[in-house]
Amino acid sequence: MRSSRRARARGLAPLLPGFCLLLLLTNAPSAEEKQIAIFAPQVSYTLPVVQRSGQDYVGLLEALEPLGAVSAKTEGRKWKLRFRDREAEFHEGKHEGRVRGRKVELGSRLLLENNRGLLPLRALPALIGRFLDLPVEFHEPGRRLFVGDAGTHFTAELHENALALNFSAPVNPTVSTEPGKLQMVFIRDPMRAAVQTLHFNSPLVSAVSLTEDNGRAALTVYGPVPLLATFANGGRTINLVAAPSQAAQAPPPQPPAQAAGTPPAGASAQAPPAPVVPALPGKPPFMVMVDASHGGEESGAVLADKLLEKDVTLGLARRLRLELLNRGIVTAMSRDSDLTLTAEQRAAMANSSRVAVFITVHAASQGTGVRLYTSLLPPAETPPGPFLPWDTAQSAFLGASRVVTDAIKSELDKREVPARELMAAVRPLNNIAAVAIAVEVAPASADLGSLTANNYQQAIASAVAEAVAATRGRVEAAL
Amino acid sequence: MIPRSLQIAIALLLLVALGMGLYLLGLKRREEQRARAALDNRPVSAPVAGSPSHVVLFVADDAQGVLRQRDASIALPAEPAQRAHEILHALLGEYTKRPSTHELAAGADVQEVFVLNNGIAVVDMTAPFADAHRSGIFVETLTVASLVETLAANVPGVTRVKILVEGKERETLAGHADLTTFYDVSSVDQLVKQLP
Repeated sequence: MRSSRRARARGLAPLLPGFCLLLLLTNAPSAEEKQIAIFAPQVSYTLPVVQRSGQDYVGLLEALEPLGAVSAKTEGRKWKLRFRDREAEFHEGKHEGRVRGRKVELGSRLLLENNRGLLPLRALPALIGRFLDLPVEFHEPGRRLFVGDAGTHFTAELHENALALNFSAPVNPTVSTEPGKLQMVFIRDPMRAAVQTLHFNSPLVSAVSLTEDNGRAALTVYGPVPLLATFANGGRTINLVAAPSQAAQAPPPQPPAQAAGTPPAGASAQAPPAPVVPALPGKPPFMVMVDASHGGEESGAVLADKLLEKDVTLGLARRLRLELLNRGIVTAMSRDSDLTLTAEQRAAMANSSRVAVFITVHAASQGTGVRLYTSLLPPAETPPGPFLPWDTAQSAFLGASRVVTDAIKSELDKREVPARELMAAVRPLNNIAAVAIAVEVAPASADLGSLTANNYQQAIASAVAEAVAATRGRVEAAL
Repeated sequence: MIPRSLQIAIALLLLVALGMGLYLLGLKRREEQRARAALDNRPVSAPVAGSPSHVVLFVADDAQGVLRQRDASIALPAEPAQRAHEILHALLGEYTKRPSTHELAAGADVQEVFVLNNGIAVVDMTAPFADAHRSGIFVETLTVASLVETLAANVPGVTRVKILVEGKERETLAGHADLTTFYDVSSVDQLVKQLP
């Protein structure tokens, strides 16, 4: 009996490595999460796409939230939604719903999960169009949705030793190089082009191709020599030149080559070329990242019965972005919907985007007025080198961070909003290689409701934006 | 020949009887352990012995947004780590009593303090200290600054403080104050100077 058990165990032994491999595979990190990017005239954001019964679904509430005031309630299997003054009604498990009194086909059944309506991804463009009364264009393979006239177009101009890409709005791609190509990935920029590939007869660049994937657009420049990208014209122009080691070997100047392909959408043959301001290699455009703290599963402080810190910070961050944009400052947001982000992800986003100023927005119910924090790290004693330690990256930028907080306090004083400047160990300030500030907004008075009052939030947002604009020159000089 | 249905029923009954027996055995053991624990009157930790000493507590005041320096007299043991433990225990007592200028939940206390030779003090707090702490940069920073300043003022040589909760590192105290870092006493001194 015992020997037969041993024999059976011996028989199973060869299966052990397979079992271990299976265990490893099941525990391996999952592939990149599916997402959809939505580009509206005032806002760009991404949403997670989930799989249900083999189909792509997206949360409708989350999709509409950045576009305006939205609320929803569940009554049994009925899900009612109100966007601005427009109403919609859906039934769990039904293939259709009603938006503004008219029937809409969903293509598949609506799902209700934790009182959240999950909508088949394919139905989203029609629904957003119906809610907003705007044309919507959905690039389904790349999962990129454009609302109204949202979109950044580009033209390509070949000069003697450079290719200038002129964009209709400031852009902030992540640039990477590989042998034979340079790739610019646009996450928040609504890059669009009617023609996917442009061909050039040049010793510098052979083709420029735009591809879309998982909510992102990538502009890939192919060429026989390694290329270097420099930003100019406030982020509206990217100049591509031969990398320094190759420049000496580059062939002698030739007459400008004619692009063989059709100009991309937005290209204007008649329009004069955009001014190209020479930029220092690697010097990025002045950009601010507004970080709405908390989000998703991490709600932050519970400020009142139904008031969560994550919601207050998102509203205030959006207001601040608008104020910064109104002052001509390129602004990105770390999150523009109810997303869970770790402190490391926020810092990595800011550092890889090479932002000049990082402002993380917090809210609290204790005390009154605004508290402005800089890192508790001691200032660096020596100038920063090319590499900075992750845990103390902010040390080298503390002086500039305090210049900006001084200016914000002064602007808040002008608006009679009580403000204090303090230091604190708040993540991810220590990891930011740029000006980094935490803005904690407490109620204006003992009344907690003042925390979300329009005029109060507006005064704070405009004070912060004004201070950033006023100190821009000093920050640029310090970075 | 016993019918098959009867065989199954008997087998099930035997299984149930076995399960019940094991359950009863477990109950009996648990009760025995409980009775033994009730009879054990030995103290969990050594009682504090020593003459009352003068200490300085940095007590947070939420309403004014400051740390107030307060003198106190408490019995302290000779060993530095135990002294630090008793001082922090006294400080947390200020926060868990009602009313308090900076309320912390009941059960918020210090478990252990380790004072290392290189100027590092490691403070291990109980779970309620962090789990029930109010959330906000300012309120959390006041708590941390109060602990660090009180330790530094009473335990000579402490230059850096690390805060653990239930023996483990936490990312934040209650969503804001970073607990992954070592708090530099000189930096916290600077912070306290900013509080009027």
